[in-house]
Amino acid sequence: MTLLRVEDLHTHFIARNLDNEIQVAKALNGVSFSLDAGRILGLVGETGAGKSLTATSIMGLLRPPARIMGGRALFQGQDLLAMPDDDLNALRGRDIALVVQSPKSSLDPLSRIGDQLIRIRRAHRGGSVAEARDKAIAMLGSLGIPDPARRMRAWPHELSGGMAQRVLIALALMNEPQLLIADEPTTGLDVTVQAQILDLLRDLVRRTGIGAMIITHDLGVVAHYCDEMAVMYAGAIVESGPVRQVFRRPTHPYTVNLIGATPERLRLGATRTVGGPPPNLRALPPGCPYQDRCPQAGADCTTIPPDVALGEGHVARCHRVAA
Amino acid sequence: MPIGRMLARRLVLVVPLLFVILLGTFMLVRLSGQDPVGLLAGPTATAAEIELVRASLALDQPIWVQFGVYLGKVVQGDLGASWLSNRPVLAEILDRAPATLELMLWGVFIGAGIGIPVGLRAAFRPDRSFDQFSRFFSLLGFSVPTYWLGLIMLFVFFYLLEWAPPGMGRISLFLEPPPRVTGSYLIDGLIAADWELAASAASQLILPVICVAIIAAAPIIKQTRAIALEVLASDYIRYARAQGLPKREIRAMALRNSATPIVTFIGTEITGLVGTTSLIEYVFAWGGLGQYGLSAIIAGDFAAVQGYVLMLALFSVLVFLIVDIYVTLTEPRAA
Repeated sequence: MTLLRVEDLHTHFIARNLDNEIQVAKALNGVSFSLDAGRILGLVGETGAGKSLTATSIMGLLRPPARIMGGRALFQGQDLLAMPDDDLNALRGRDIALVVQSPKSSLDPLSRIGDQLIRIRRAHRGGSVAEARDKAIAMLGSLGIPDPARRMRAWPHELSGGMAQRVLIALALMNEPQLLIADEPTTGLDVTVQAQILDLLRDLVRRTGIGAMIITHDLGVVAHYCDEMAVMYAGAIVESGPVRQVFRRPTHPYTVNLIGATPERLRLGATRTVGGPPPNLRALPPGCPYQDRCPQAGADCTTIPPDVALGEGHVARCHRVAA
Repeated sequence: MPIGRMLARRLVLVVPLLFVILLGTFMLVRLSGQDPVGLLAGPTATAAEIELVRASLALDQPIWVQFGVYLGKVVQGDLGASWLSNRPVLAEILDRAPATLELMLWGVFIGAGIGIPVGLRAAFRPDRSFDQFSRFFSLLGFSVPTYWLGLIMLFVFFYLLEWAPPGMGRISLFLEPPPRVTGSYLIDGLIAADWELAASAASQLILPVICVAIIAAAPIIKQTRAIALEVLASDYIRYARAQGLPKREIRAMALRNSATPIVTFIGTEITGLVGTTSLIEYVFAWGGLGQYGLSAIIAGDFAAVQGYVLMLALFSVLVFLIVDIYVTLTEPRAA
């Protein structure tokens, strides 16, 4: 069952520069993907590719100067982008939950974590404080936090990074969401804690059958924890498909280079080939956005490349790919 | 940190702080080049008489000896006598302090009562017309000279419109001050159930308090706006939005998180407002501590200047202590 279908999403940053000229940075240029319930989608790409922006656009959390210029984001059949603000706000935190990086600074410093858990539950589901408290204690316990009843009284500044991330996940899960978006959930945590958090997320999806989207620039995370992956470049998805297919047969030159640039591959003797500066979103070339850095670029790359289906849901957007 | 330990640590720090302040003012006053002896001895004094006065004030002793004597007396609670009035400085200061406190606290109270809501509203809707207006007002409050504001207020509201009484003290000249309880004529008048007196005290307060309030409100607006904007841009407010918390709760969260820095700022502002209030006191012939300090500086009345500065320092210490207690009580990270 398709939980989330994003179609041709365009988001631009529109601002005036010092000379008072209007400048448009085309940050998202036709992002399309879909996510089924019970599956984990990994969104990868370099910094500035538009991974987080995709999530904030879908959730209606953009602030000026960012603006959605077109597209649809269908969540259980409803277009999130066309929804009134209040309806979307009611949906956020209830049906769609977000886990962000920097968990310690994302918790309200003046509320005990128990109060924050109770607050989010009651804001969306109502009910008594006692009910919400029981639910919160059970949730902290199920996320592997020892002595959850006592932890409820902790202040955010007393938590370690890994503990804070678990609390954030608990906040996200308090209202049994259908879709969980985790934006670099393990950045800044040490490796063992990273693995624990990601194991937790994967078990959760397996157990409850919700859909999850993990935003990361770590291909290792994608390979280990995700079912599907989508590679973003310059605000567009250049290759997507089941994780196994994409890793076995990376097809878009950018994906090939990205996978070749992981420390593991480099150690195996691969040559580092992702070169050149990141794309200038204010002046993208016509056609394929990767043409300036692509080792295989040719004259036809100045025209818009096709989405080539490679079977089993594996798609690459490139002129060089023969179907 | 428990309140008790915080207080103990603070009190230990106050001792060297006060010593440095005493030393600093003592030396500065003596290095100012003023010689009070000529003034005190009078224009017809002979050289022998001048030397006699000098010796009676111990001004012929080395400066370190003078400081030692002074320090010994201060420790016993004796701030010396004013050379102008011959009265003990401490008594004069305590007589006048309520006048200044009354004026300043009302001014800060009203300034904060205007400044905080205005700053918050400006921050919640940045760059709208209300925000533009508040920034204009804030700039105006910053740039208006204090004494000029007082004079213009008197000119408009007393002279032209005749709404306000003349700026001549804290109550009408025809009334006697009430029996002293708090030192504030307004409150003491109310306590004594002397309505005419309380009304007179209130009407005398209005103009100078408005002046102090305007001067106080300007930086409060600016700081409140900046603090609230920073809180609104913080990770936890952004995350609260992502959690779909109702707008009302997000605002409440922003308010609670802005409170500590705003209170801290107002604390530092109060200590700085003493200077502003002095000028207002002068314009309105208020007879407060600021006016006392200014006259003492101009007259070269050493003991009075030293006592005045010491009082200001103690007042600052007290204000910061109250702010620290507030922060310790409300801020879990301070514990």
